[in-house]
Amino acid sequence: MVGLSLGEQTFIKGGIDQDLRTDGRKRLTYRPIFVETGIIPQASGSARVKLGATDVIASVKAELGRPNPSYPDKGKVSIHVDCSPTAEPSFEGRGGEELSTELCSALERCLLGGKSGAGAGIDLSSLCIVRGKVCWDLYIDGLVVSSDGNVLDALGAAVKAALSNTAIPKVQVSANAPSDEQPEVDVSDEEFLQFDTSGVPVIVTLTKVGRHYIADATTEEESQMSSAVSVSINRQGRICGLTKRGGAGLHPTVILDMISAAKHVSEQLMNKLDSEIAAAEACDEMES
Amino acid sequence: MGLKCLAQHYLKSTGPSFILTKKNKPLRRRTASLSKMEFVNPEGLRLDGRRPMEMRQLRAEIGVVSKADGSAVFEMGNTKVIAAVYGPREVQNRSQQSNDEALVRCEYSMANFSTGDRMRKPKGDRRSTEISMVIRQTMEACILTHLMPRSQIDIFVQVLQADGGTRSACINAATLALADAGIPMTDIVTSCSAGFLNGTPLLDLNYVEDSAGGPDVTVGILPKLDKVTLLQMDSKLQMETFETVMQLATEGCKAVASYIREVLLENTKQLESRRGV
Repeated sequence: MVGLSLGEQTFIKGGIDQDLRTDGRKRLTYRPIFVETGIIPQASGSARVKLGATDVIASVKAELGRPNPSYPDKGKVSIHVDCSPTAEPSFEGRGGEELSTELCSALERCLLGGKSGAGAGIDLSSLCIVRGKVCWDLYIDGLVVSSDGNVLDALGAAVKAALSNTAIPKVQVSANAPSDEQPEVDVSDEEFLQFDTSGVPVIVTLTKVGRHYIADATTEEESQMSSAVSVSINRQGRICGLTKRGGAGLHPTVILDMISAAKHVSEQLMNKLDSEIAAAEACDEMES
Repeated sequence: MGLKCLAQHYLKSTGPSFILTKKNKPLRRRTASLSKMEFVNPEGLRLDGRRPMEMRQLRAEIGVVSKADGSAVFEMGNTKVIAAVYGPREVQNRSQQSNDEALVRCEYSMANFSTGDRMRKPKGDRRSTEISMVIRQTMEACILTHLMPRSQIDIFVQVLQADGGTRSACINAATLALADAGIPMTDIVTSCSAGFLNGTPLLDLNYVEDSAGGPDVTVGILPKLDKVTLLQMDSKLQMETFETVMQLATEGCKAVASYIREVLLENTKQLESRRGV
């Protein structure tokens, strides 16, 4: 919102060069993460993640639908992100659409894999109920409430937490339905299956400022960036998606270096996130 | 933390019934008639266990969006709303600038996941535009705009969960956010809704009661000055009943006002203690 003076810019860049950022963090340290699950009761799963002053909410809704005729044994997942004007006054009306579309496609790239669903972080075959006729449609919605940099990482973490909070109802399919009609599906209100999120990756964004790269940049640091690379890495250390943002060109060796640094950072982030999610779920269960 | 747990417990305890009514009544919900459904059972309890004159549980928190000049979260039962205020700041659109007073703008948007069925279009639809205009006019009436000429005040309201009474929750949240931003106002504005079903006036309707097709009166008042700034009604009502229902909604507004004052006082005490006063 407010521009930075030359002195402030030099201060930020100098701090990053010396491995001491304005809030005292090291280059590859994340801000404290705060996770809350189950905040939207009418959704199948939901979570709220606060990364410093960045606040995002993700919700997962499971609805019955027909699978894609080309992939009859896979369910469908669709991701949508909305930037609320409470985060930035410029997001009013259609102002936030550009950022929303960018975040949405980055998330899809990281979580959904190829067209056939191969290599997706979410196992689409587990969403199938009756081959070719009935499947679960997962609608993942993200909402950016407050943005102070690194929104993509926060959204990735929120989607992961929301998916681990998702409870898909058990279904009973009537066995004696004719083969060419829609079978009757009885959705149980009592029994639920917890969604398996061991394969869901976490997104790490490394922002290049000057000659060094930092993880988890704030808005001020992002305003000084030359380019950024967002890598999504799963628990096995495999890369699930990659996005480069920013206009400046990067040497290929630099990109490879950033990727290996991201892998290293992602292990810590994954562990921290898992423990926070487990704590949030435990708190949730204690209250219910 | 204790208050939050209580609110979440309340949400959880009324959660399943909320989901059940959405899933098990696909089409009847749209054409639900008054006579078929019992909104006040013979013991005098409503669908969620409240008495007819009982409001839902209120919960408010100030300063949730640190980037905004003022922000607040307001919950009325299952309806949860975030309001953020940016201003007074420089006018973005020079042609709209006014030399005598501040420009007040407002935008209302609902999250995709806020309603039971997933919404496709969060903003820009007619209902959102109408509510944005209503909130703007209500808040403009109480802000001392002549103290801040050539400036702009933006109020953004985001609905996280919608369970009836979103209009009222938005106005209450906007009041708290404006107070948090330190914008001078003549008085706080509070709002509450009331309806009339099964021959009983009901305070603070939730979504099920609201979509029953009965009348829904939304009132916004300036409590200290005892003036009505917002009055809207759907459906039809007899004159005497209307006066009773409006009186009930005004009482509800006064209850909300005392709660808001408590929250603001608590917030000021915390600020004082942080400053070492």
